[in-house]
Amino acid sequence: MTYELNVAHLYGNLMNTYGDVGNILALNYYAKQMDVHLNVKVVSLEEDFQAADYDLAFFGGGQDFEQTIVSQDIQTKKAELTKFIESGGPVLAICGGFQLLGHYYIGANGEKLPGIGALDHYTLAQDHNRFIGDIVIKNQETGETYHGFENHQGLTYLGADERPLGNVVSGKGNNGEDGTEGAIYKNVYCSYFHGPILTRNGDIAKHLLIAALRRKFPEADFSQQEALPIPATF
Amino acid sequence: MSLRSGFATFAGKSSYWFLHTFLHGGSSLPGKITLKLDPNILRTLGAKYDVIVITGTNGKTLTTALTVSVLNQKYPTILTNPTGSNMEQGIVTTFLNAKNPKTGRPLAVLEVDEANVIKVTQYIEPKAFVFTNIFRDQMDRYGEIYTTYQKILDGVALAPNATIIANGDSPIFHSKELPNPIEYYGFDDQPDQDMKAKPNTDGVLCPVCEHILHYHSLTYSNQGKYFCPNCGFERPELTYRLTKLGDQTPTSSEFEVDGHAFKIGVGGTYNIYNALAAYAVGRFMGVAPTQIARAFNGNQQVFGRQEVIDVDGKQVTIILVKNPVGLDQVLHMIGTDKEKFSLVGLLNANYADGIDTSWIWDGDFEQLTKRDIPAVITGGERYKDITFRLKVAGIPDDKHIVEPDLEKVVAEIKQVPTKRVYVLATYTAMLQMRKILATKGYIKEGLGV
Repeated sequence: MTYELNVAHLYGNLMNTYGDVGNILALNYYAKQMDVHLNVKVVSLEEDFQAADYDLAFFGGGQDFEQTIVSQDIQTKKAELTKFIESGGPVLAICGGFQLLGHYYIGANGEKLPGIGALDHYTLAQDHNRFIGDIVIKNQETGETYHGFENHQGLTYLGADERPLGNVVSGKGNNGEDGTEGAIYKNVYCSYFHGPILTRNGDIAKHLLIAALRRKFPEADFSQQEALPIPATF
Repeated sequence: MSLRSGFATFAGKSSYWFLHTFLHGGSSLPGKITLKLDPNILRTLGAKYDVIVITGTNGKTLTTALTVSVLNQKYPTILTNPTGSNMEQGIVTTFLNAKNPKTGRPLAVLEVDEANVIKVTQYIEPKAFVFTNIFRDQMDRYGEIYTTYQKILDGVALAPNATIIANGDSPIFHSKELPNPIEYYGFDDQPDQDMKAKPNTDGVLCPVCEHILHYHSLTYSNQGKYFCPNCGFERPELTYRLTKLGDQTPTSSEFEVDGHAFKIGVGGTYNIYNALAAYAVGRFMGVAPTQIARAFNGNQQVFGRQEVIDVDGKQVTIILVKNPVGLDQVLHMIGTDKEKFSLVGLLNANYADGIDTSWIWDGDFEQLTKRDIPAVITGGERYKDITFRLKVAGIPDDKHIVEPDLEKVVAEIKQVPTKRVYVLATYTAMLQMRKILATKGYIKEGLGV
């Protein structure tokens, strides 16, 4: 392979509830077709995350208890993760990962748990209800349609400088009210989609990989990578 | 027996007789009727028995059946509940159906649903509990493993003198201080190393200090000889040790426990755990290892032997898959086949299958690429998901047939280059497949499991 990218799988051994590892597998699958080798490393409790060491990060969703533990530990990575995001580092964050990049979320026992506030959203909790089911959204800028499965108690509200990943065509989305689903901020893509998201929506995998390549190799020509067709898988 | 219990028992027994005689049914309705008349009926019905409760998310049914056959070596009459009757009503029905014991104190070995343990211990103090394991089930029926274990413990709290016989390789069973005597069984056949579970494994946090657990050896999922490098929490001393793992095939497993050799007529490491649990109960109840070996050998039908269906000369085995841990174990088990085989993956996402198909990504299909599998067929209502899963796992397109229609899948199966074919199917896909095979005359109608 001509290119190498270092991928941080944030808390991969704790935030792994809904086939999250499928996102890593799908990234690898498309990366190979783009002549890119991925070095994937799980960065978990008490392990160091240095923004300069990584070209891409993935942060999945977990069970309530595990997410509580991660909410504490991630504060030690807050500065470097924020630095990574602000400098255009591509990140995919799903469900609990999405919530923890924002200001806070409400845990299973009603307690307010901190995120890192790198993104400007916050998450409340529904009372004894979850949004569960198939969901379809459309991104207004690219015209791309994304398919997924949502299963979340959280109600997330986006900040002023975040755009949604898409507008809800069918399903519930971030909060069931404002028609948004997920978030985009710089090169950060957030969503509640399982499926896992990249296995059904290869276009997002491609956006992440291209962003990482351009950032790491600003002089190189990636027109071939950009031309890679992504056949529908769903 | 009080007048009320007497009447309730009579009503329940009569309804069982009626249902059984005229409607060929009657698994939980008699229990329901009896419970309506006397909600405390289990106290009366269970009082005569020494009860062993078997619970956990996976392996309850087989562990119960194996335990009964092991204990039968020493205790001729044992009351047990049929598959699926593991909630309160089914358990009451089981006691109602029992013939009155002639002499002594009979044994009851009961498979009990995790949340129903408390419904038994409210009225009966069991002699022993068996904890098989706790894995997350299909995700849309969300139950966290900690919540599930707490449900079991809520029931156990009412029986503080009962001995717990637990899977020592499962960290969760060592996570709470309990007043009960505890015996652990587990695998102790590997030299010590230092490793971690695969990233997508549940339940790897140390219950004491919440650091990531390490392992000296791992069997599957989060089970093994765990230890916490931070606080020193570790697997407890085992009372019953699997000391050697021998030959494994899809239809047989050889192993030694405490130095005694055993063979069971079924594959899969998870089934060795079930046998180990039955061994532990047997030893706890004074059954000799030679008697246990006889029970394991003599009772092949206990294993619900994988049915091999002859489809015009192809040997087709249909295996139900429903969650990542089970899927991984099935993939490992068919991987022990010494002959070449073809693989069929059928995925549906109806309620009984789990409406979220994400779990297929937690199954380690990548291990299939270590073998030369001449043909792979993917189908079912959610064929696109399973097709892409196998594509990503590395199954080459020229060996991969995509066929959503199960009728046509059967036709494709007849064309594969191997005699042996494994069909991995979710619940409703399995039912649909069996129906087609029945219509074509390859099997008789019915579940056959």
